[in-house]
Amino acid sequence: MSACSGRADIISTVEFNHTGELLATGDKGGRVVIFQREQESKNQVHRRGEYNVYSTFQSHEPEFDYLKSLEIEEKINKIRWLPQQNAAYFLLSTNDKTVKLWKVSERDKRPEGYNLKDEEGRLRDPATITTLRVPVLRPMDLMVEATPRRVFANAHTYHINSISVNSDYETYMSADDLRINLWNFEITNQSFNIVDIKPANMEELTEVITAAEFHPHHCNSFVYSSSKGTIRLCDMRASALCDRHSKFFEEPEDPSNRSFFSEIISSISDVKFSHSGRYIMTRDYLTVKVWDLNMENRPIETYQVHDYLRSKLCSLYENDCIFDKFECVWNGSDSVIMTGSYNNFFRMFDRNTKRDVTLEASRENSKPRAILKPRKVCVGGKRRKDEISVDSLDFSKKILHTAWHPSENIIAVAATNNLYIFQDKVN
Amino acid sequence: MHLGTLTLRYMLGKGEKRKFDEHEDGLEGKIMSPSDGPSKVSYTLQRQTIFNISLMKLYNHRPLTEPSLQKTVLINNMLRRIQEELKQEGSLRPVFTAAAAAAAASPAPDSLSDSYREAPPALSAPAPPPPPPPPPPALAGDLGSTTPLEVCLTPASLLEDHDDDTFCTSPAAPPAAPARPSAPAPPPEKDSFSSALDEIEELCPTSTSPGAAAAAPDSSRAGSGAPGVPRPDDPKLMDSLPGNFEITTSTGFLTDLTLDDILFADIDTSMYDFDPCTSASGTASKMAPVSADDLLKTLAPYSSQPVAPSQPFKMDLTELDHIMEVLVGS
Repeated sequence: MSACSGRADIISTVEFNHTGELLATGDKGGRVVIFQREQESKNQVHRRGEYNVYSTFQSHEPEFDYLKSLEIEEKINKIRWLPQQNAAYFLLSTNDKTVKLWKVSERDKRPEGYNLKDEEGRLRDPATITTLRVPVLRPMDLMVEATPRRVFANAHTYHINSISVNSDYETYMSADDLRINLWNFEITNQSFNIVDIKPANMEELTEVITAAEFHPHHCNSFVYSSSKGTIRLCDMRASALCDRHSKFFEEPEDPSNRSFFSEIISSISDVKFSHSGRYIMTRDYLTVKVWDLNMENRPIETYQVHDYLRSKLCSLYENDCIFDKFECVWNGSDSVIMTGSYNNFFRMFDRNTKRDVTLEASRENSKPRAILKPRKVCVGGKRRKDEISVDSLDFSKKILHTAWHPSENIIAVAATNNLYIFQDKVN
Repeated sequence: MHLGTLTLRYMLGKGEKRKFDEHEDGLEGKIMSPSDGPSKVSYTLQRQTIFNISLMKLYNHRPLTEPSLQKTVLINNMLRRIQEELKQEGSLRPVFTAAAAAAAASPAPDSLSDSYREAPPALSAPAPPPPPPPPPPALAGDLGSTTPLEVCLTPASLLEDHDDDTFCTSPAAPPAAPARPSAPAPPPEKDSFSSALDEIEELCPTSTSPGAAAAAPDSSRAGSGAPGVPRPDDPKLMDSLPGNFEITTSTGFLTDLTLDDILFADIDTSMYDFDPCTSASGTASKMAPVSADDLLKTLAPYSSQPVAPSQPFKMDLTELDHIMEVLVGS
């Protein structure tokens, strides 16, 4: 059931492509590794296609901002695939400042039989050529090459936290802490600013943009979330600068749960449209919420990811864990949602049955082909044999990035510098 | 004789973690209304602790890369919120921290100082309101103080109390002296504090305000929020503690601090080296004992009145010199 691969660097993003055939990961060192699913062979039906490394390339390099005397990290913040339109695959990868469009293509044939060059490529003396022939394509070992086709740079003063491909497949947006820009794939030297929340006086800044995404079907709509726990739906047809939202989603604060950290834990770390486009899911520090686009005053569902941390917020503030940005994902049918937690735990919530499960991604606890055992965190009182107490949780093992295959029950879970791929057991 | 610089030192110096844990579990979670009796004490303690942690996060950062704007904004909001709360709760602020600036003492009347010194136990717990968030020394100049030297320092006796259980044991918070307001003091001490307060108020009759009277029972005379909003009815107090009001404005320290300052300030961070995860062996023990005399000699140039040595402070004199240099230099 699982395929693990170790890598030197911490994985910073995981994303399946639209068919689920490819799985891309980006890491802190600026590298992108793409896995491809094995074609299922008729001989071994029971053996589901496994993911193997398909291509590896260096997407971003560290840079230095001379003006500010600060480094620009090469860490890949997000990868987003474009839908496939020909034999090649295209993806967007971004670090804090620069978005790049990469083309990943296969070469499994090469031309042989040139007239003017010999097999090694050396030029032939024309005087020695007596006949002409047509070069033919002959098979060669498969080579996968990645080439940067576009570099979209110098459009963001602050750190890019999201990129999202529009359903028109012609444009995409990139969002940083204060601004969102709209790009055309063909044009790299300019972008349109569609959201700007920078105050005239930076001292008045109290809220930043934390995530943004285009609607999956309506190319004019997108949402962005904020550090104050709000989500805004914007319509680009309304005006060039979408500073006024069409819809504003915010849940009133629960007075019984107020604490010093209320604002910080309400900061949304990820926002995702459902595949249907009817719902959005948001992740804040302790919960995952599902919102109906037609109801702005509160979410329709709230799931507790690790509420036992509520009494530890002060320590988590001190050691910065409270600022960890967990992502969340929908399954293909929008019936199950998944998000990560600490101690290499990740959680799944079934929206229909209301059941949830906690699983662990670790080498020690799972062998290949083994079934994942549900885990439980003990919050007080007697700890049962298999339970883990809150105090023994390892907060350095956090699962921030996960991905779900678009149509099947295959999930990819990034645990620091290891990637786990889990598949549903069919029989 | 006030020792705002000591405040600064405590604020930004090496903090140790630890006893914090003891308080932490009891303090986490739901907010306790400041008006509840004993729980108010732990509420204010928690608030002060979080305040200090927030400051350390902002100013302790030595990034090779740009710090996260989201994190900075959230921490700033936290500080602002606490400041607002303190402002609402407190009114009179006999002592300031001036962390901001810190420098020298303002001429405090001897009698005032005496009264502070004479009632150390009273002041240990429900200490005077916390100072406005002390910005790093490098930014002192930005805070609107006319000169860095006009800041008032905390009376030695107050700092003295840091060595006591309460604040020394409450880690992360080598609280700025005045900030002691979050006194985890048991209720009985409030009474002696009230009486000390009365003494002070006798000295500055015009400075009495409703807040002052109410402040006694209300142990968190927080930073008289009015950092900066001079009370028209207590000119005497103002005279004795100038600068304070000039240093901060009603919006708090963040007013003169732009985010760019925070993000890109060229601060000498050697003082701020601190690992919040280090277990503390006790804040006090980390400081070399310094006699009050030595300290006062250093501060003498900045004060117009010599202060009689009262009780020894625990302070590393060289570090104090360093602070003074930095502050005056800015």
